[in-house]
Amino acid sequence: MSELLAVENLEKYFPVTRGLIFQKEIAQVKAVDGVNFTLNAGETLGVVGESGCGKSTMARCIARLLEPTGGKIVFNGQDITHLGRKEMRPIRRDMMMVFQDPYASLNARKRVGSIIAEPLEVHNIGSDADRKRRVQELLEIVGLSPEHYNRFPHEFSGGQRQRIGIARALSINPKLIICDEPVSALDVSVQAQILNLLKDLQRDFDLTYIFIAHDLNVVRHVSDRVMVMYLGKPVETGSRAELYASPKHPYSGALLSAVPIADPKLGRARKQIVLEGDVPSPINPPAACRFHPRCPRFVDGKCNVDEPLLTRVPGATDHDFACHFPLERWPMGDDELRHEGAFAQEATPAGSFD
Amino acid sequence: MALLEVQDLNTRFKTDDGVVQAVSGVSFDLERGKTLGVVGESGSGKSVTFLTVMGLLDPRHAEMTGSVRFDNQEILGLNTSQLRPIRGERIGMIFQDPMTSLNPVKKIGWQLEEAVLIHNDVPRSEARRRAIEVLEEVEIPKADTRIDDYAHQFSGGMRQRVMIAMALINQPELLIADEPTTALDVTTQAQILRLMEKLQNEHGMAIVMITHDLGVVAELADDVIVMYGGRIVESAQVDDLFAKPEMPYTWGLLGSLPRVDVDVERLEQIPGQPPSLLRPPKGCAFNPRCAYTFDRCREELPELRPAEGKSDHEFRCHLEEADRARIWTEKQAAMAASAESAA
Repeated sequence: MSELLAVENLEKYFPVTRGLIFQKEIAQVKAVDGVNFTLNAGETLGVVGESGCGKSTMARCIARLLEPTGGKIVFNGQDITHLGRKEMRPIRRDMMMVFQDPYASLNARKRVGSIIAEPLEVHNIGSDADRKRRVQELLEIVGLSPEHYNRFPHEFSGGQRQRIGIARALSINPKLIICDEPVSALDVSVQAQILNLLKDLQRDFDLTYIFIAHDLNVVRHVSDRVMVMYLGKPVETGSRAELYASPKHPYSGALLSAVPIADPKLGRARKQIVLEGDVPSPINPPAACRFHPRCPRFVDGKCNVDEPLLTRVPGATDHDFACHFPLERWPMGDDELRHEGAFAQEATPAGSFD
Repeated sequence: MALLEVQDLNTRFKTDDGVVQAVSGVSFDLERGKTLGVVGESGSGKSVTFLTVMGLLDPRHAEMTGSVRFDNQEILGLNTSQLRPIRGERIGMIFQDPMTSLNPVKKIGWQLEEAVLIHNDVPRSEARRRAIEVLEEVEIPKADTRIDDYAHQFSGGMRQRVMIAMALINQPELLIADEPTTALDVTTQAQILRLMEKLQNEHGMAIVMITHDLGVVAELADDVIVMYGGRIVESAQVDDLFAKPEMPYTWGLLGSLPRVDVDVERLEQIPGQPPSLLRPPKGCAFNPRCAYTFDRCREELPELRPAEGKSDHEFRCHLEEADRARIWTEKQAAMAASAESAA
């Protein structure tokens, strides 16, 4: 398999300014702060994290909708980190996005046919008749019918709109599709339809996906590899098999155990890490391990002093984590939920619900 | 005596295109201190059912029949002033989107105090004291200073806590939560669900949890109603529903959930879209999407009937018991096999 995308030490900082005319930079939001990964053609990378962890910003940097502050993005053998608009044009043919909100990402005044044909027009592909044929073919591929060509987006349900968004992304036969929370706004039954559709399309058209979500379980069904992000940094990456079999980072454990299980007996019996509060502000992130204020396994004098680096899980081929006190067992036992050190005396164990 | 008794509730909207029958013949009871999960897709009538119960629909547009008894008092058809001692005081409500449900130009403290002042003859200082107390109860840090913040200064999860605080401030006996966690991250969802559980244990209120996620129901509910096309299609105690669901739509909902505990190569999906309530399909509303449809399903609406050996487990389906038992066993085996092959 050939490498389609390589991201090295990607950084995106947004300035925080004060003053109307003489804008003075007073701080920086480190939205993405050192992300590394490679993605082979035909693979899916799942990127997971809460709102505000920088996953969407990372996607937008890769699609070059944002200018990265630092690092390097190599797409299809070409360094695209700082290409200009014109130079990016031919590359954009190979890279498309599907967005979260199917209500906001389709132009309400355009007909479905012209929404899907727009990328073809932008890149000057085919005659009008060719484009129309292509759009009708696409409508069928994504499970709509060619008669929908002249309808408006408001005539469709959320799931159908997401299919329109996918058809638009497919229109120019891209190599890479970045899906930014494509199913978060959908009902679970419709969510399953869209996940299955994305998988079928990948098989049929040899697509490569970056699939962003806040739900580790959704990602499980589409990803070959998974990256868990927290406050701009990856905290755990691995192949699907290794990461889900034994997640190491307490944050991955928290994300996995936060999802309700559709089985009353199993769901109520299991151990759960319920995180307190929200993701801290990336303007002034916590020192050392950024997860330490919310972590059930926090050890004072270690986690807040010494930043853990991504290290390989012993014996694993593709599974790295950044934590001083990784989870030892999965599913978790009582030990996994324990606070240690000085912090433990004053605080009740965060989210140890039995 | 149940706290909330709903009998044969029907809600119809007159539109330019015709009559939309949003709720048809819905009946259920809810005891004090219990949680009722109401599950269904968008457009299944689950929200409209409870808007009707709360008297939040305008009778000029919606035609409502049936009976809604709250603590043995008929409340369907009461006007706003008659409802005032009940709604917001004895029944609280939380809506899905905490951003649009909060007033953006008023401090949240003002909004919380308003809820107290409408229902109680107390000075504003007392209302403020109660507002801080209830914010602390929903675990908002530094409640005494955050009370003077505006909605936009809170994160999504914190806003939903404010909504819960507002619903709880008059200590209601019944809390109706309409998709309270749908717009939130999974981690925040877990926080909110734990919080609701804790508050229920402390105050003993009854909860109606409206959701499209069977996982949420499995964690929280005592009893479950599954709605489809404006009707109840299955209702049971939570353990019974998950142990042996009795009709194809519930099977589909269960199969389409991504599982935490197992690898499934391909999710089961319910094909097609929910039915139009303007022109509902003849017979069983689910028949166009059902894999087991036969002639009778297209002609005749199945009645709610009790499951074998369980009088409190009811469902709508024409399939015979033997067939349903066989299909469910096969489905469970298939899920297990698919999990194994993926592992």
